[in-house]
Amino acid sequence: MRRILLVAKRDYLATVRTKAFLVGLVVAPLLFGGGMLGVALLKAKPDIADRRVAIVDRGGGVAAAIVQAASEKSTREAVDKTTGRQIQPHYFFETVPAANGDANAQRLALSDRVRRGELYAFLEIVPQSKDPGLRVSCYSNSSGIDDARRWFDGPVTEGIQRVRLAQLGVDPSRFKDLLAPVAVERLSLVTRDEKTGAIVNAHKKGELEGFAVPFGLMMLLGMIVLVGASPMLTAVTEDKAQRIVEMLLGLATPWELMMGKVLAAVGISLTSSAFYVIGGTLALYGVGMIGMVPFSLLPWFYIYLVADVVMLCAFAAALGSACSSPQDAQSLAVVLVSPVVIPYFLLMPALQQPNGSIATTASLFPPFAPMMMLLRQAMPGGVPVWQPWVALAGIVACTLAAVWAAARIFRVGILMQGKPPRIADMVRWAIRG
Amino acid sequence: MDAVEIASVTKTFDTLTAVDDLSLTVPEGSVYGFIGPNGSGKTTTMRMIVSIFYPDRGSIRVFGRQMQGARSEQIGYLPEERGLYRKMTVRRVLEFYGELRGGRKVAAEVDAWLERLDLADWAGRKVETLSKGMSQRVQFIAAVIPTPRLLILDEPFSGLDPVSAEVIRAAVLELRRGGATVILSTHDMNVAESLCDRIFMIFRGRKVLDGTLASIQDQFGNDTIRVSAADTLPPLAELPGVEKIRDLGQVKELRMTRGCDPQQVLEVLVARTRVTGFSVVKPSLNDIFVRIAGPASEESKVA
Repeated sequence: MRRILLVAKRDYLATVRTKAFLVGLVVAPLLFGGGMLGVALLKAKPDIADRRVAIVDRGGGVAAAIVQAASEKSTREAVDKTTGRQIQPHYFFETVPAANGDANAQRLALSDRVRRGELYAFLEIVPQSKDPGLRVSCYSNSSGIDDARRWFDGPVTEGIQRVRLAQLGVDPSRFKDLLAPVAVERLSLVTRDEKTGAIVNAHKKGELEGFAVPFGLMMLLGMIVLVGASPMLTAVTEDKAQRIVEMLLGLATPWELMMGKVLAAVGISLTSSAFYVIGGTLALYGVGMIGMVPFSLLPWFYIYLVADVVMLCAFAAALGSACSSPQDAQSLAVVLVSPVVIPYFLLMPALQQPNGSIATTASLFPPFAPMMMLLRQAMPGGVPVWQPWVALAGIVACTLAAVWAAARIFRVGILMQGKPPRIADMVRWAIRG
Repeated sequence: MDAVEIASVTKTFDTLTAVDDLSLTVPEGSVYGFIGPNGSGKTTTMRMIVSIFYPDRGSIRVFGRQMQGARSEQIGYLPEERGLYRKMTVRRVLEFYGELRGGRKVAAEVDAWLERLDLADWAGRKVETLSKGMSQRVQFIAAVIPTPRLLILDEPFSGLDPVSAEVIRAAVLELRRGGATVILSTHDMNVAESLCDRIFMIFRGRKVLDGTLASIQDQFGNDTIRVSAADTLPPLAELPGVEKIRDLGQVKELRMTRGCDPQQVLEVLVARTRVTGFSVVKPSLNDIFVRIAGPASEESKVA
């Protein structure tokens, strides 16, 4: 244990005393926060240039109604009622008579107008025999996920509904009441106060509660794990390349050496986390949002953090020991960070359905469990009480297995030179020792 | 007590047998030289003594104890591949290595050794600022703090300038005088002859020589004649009993067949030329080395 602590102390101090660590400590959240800020700024400065849209009705008889509904929506939504500031573009419509001849030639001509910038898009209404009786197409030069395409959905539907209601003899003055959308208010569950026994009313759910806290916690965990674990791969490879390893192996066993390095990484992660958690808490306190800090989840946060760092660092030590050069190590870095990166791809399904099969399965799968279970625990509905404990048991088992296998790979691989790492070799070393 | 007892040890890497059924005893307090061509198994043997590698078969005892993977504060090890943390200062890196092995503060010993090896002025500098010779001296200090009972040096003089080599040689002898057992490997036969009490030669993983220099030379007998002449020497290959001729410049070295009488050779030479020097000697360690490993030394590949 003494040697483990000595190696850990050296590696820890060698890292935290570097300018790169101190700069990274500050830069990482700035990059992350900067990205969020960039998105926010882009949202705050949307494209509000006027948009001219042509509409061609090939027999539906609904163009005028669609134009009217769209113009009303444009007027209604273009300006923020509170601030008076324009937040969306104004839409202007131009009804184009359907050509008697070749429809494709007319589409090409209108497309050329879009390409020249005279039009933003054009809509085409074509009757069809099957339901709903009309096909409405939107032609534009913008991307397939452009918000503007969805913008037309409402007015097109509303315009067609108006025409059909009029055909049924409904008074046009009642259209607004009949077609008015009804918003659904999102509330939390009603609870009972444990101290007073009183029923506590549900509160309105905000975006911060449902998204920011779980997302922020997950991002923080991932970032700190990467700060602690990712340097391990290159550090082991560099020690090997600089021939330091054999000297160390004359003084400490491979197990002591590897665990010392793992312990140093845990220390580095805890240092980073203390910086971010304390700093974040003070910042939220300063802006009066201390209530957002999920204090009850902090013990879980640290349990997951330590387990994840130990697991990944053991993997990193094993992979690093099999590499002969930093270039070899770089090619394996993708494998190493996958337990942290893959949960980010599962973020949206998990946020939309925190207790769905994807989120639940991923949060019980040990390599992803720290990130995914923390995310689910931080969401308003929480998770069944047993799940974090089952996930923790899996994480501990996986971590122990990772450390055991890594130590065996490390012992054999660390003195190998000149051969690029092969997964088959590492598996053989892990099994045979 | 013997410092190291190696009994029937075999070590293989995949299909390659690096050390083959090796038995060796290193007496306490001796300087034991390991010689052999590159890839013959010297480093593997040393790594097994330090427990970096484990034998596939056989056993190794150090001061009567089987190591079984443990590290001993009694063993100092200088590997062939030198490596120090380049960003640390000389003093810090030596204290780190010393504490790692000894389990106690070693600051005083570090200062004393830095002074002894003329590195005191460099104690506060980073390792990356040192010259190669200085780095090797620092590495040597790392192997001898705290003072070990068994010191294993893999190629300690490799790449050293004569001054640094002499400093290390003096330090090794001083440690031996203090009671330490020293095992060192070398390709320099002069070092092996002059520094080592006993010499062990390994070739293709097997022990081929083991003993004092004199006992090894006795195995080969007085089969070497060194001759020089005022005029050009006659064709030496025609002389009776000459097996091999080595041209050393002013002197020719003749290896004779077993049972050949040097007196006959001298008589033939005197009859043909004016002989200025004639001596019958035992073969040098270098000669013995080449006789054993010469034709095959390039074929071996294992460290």
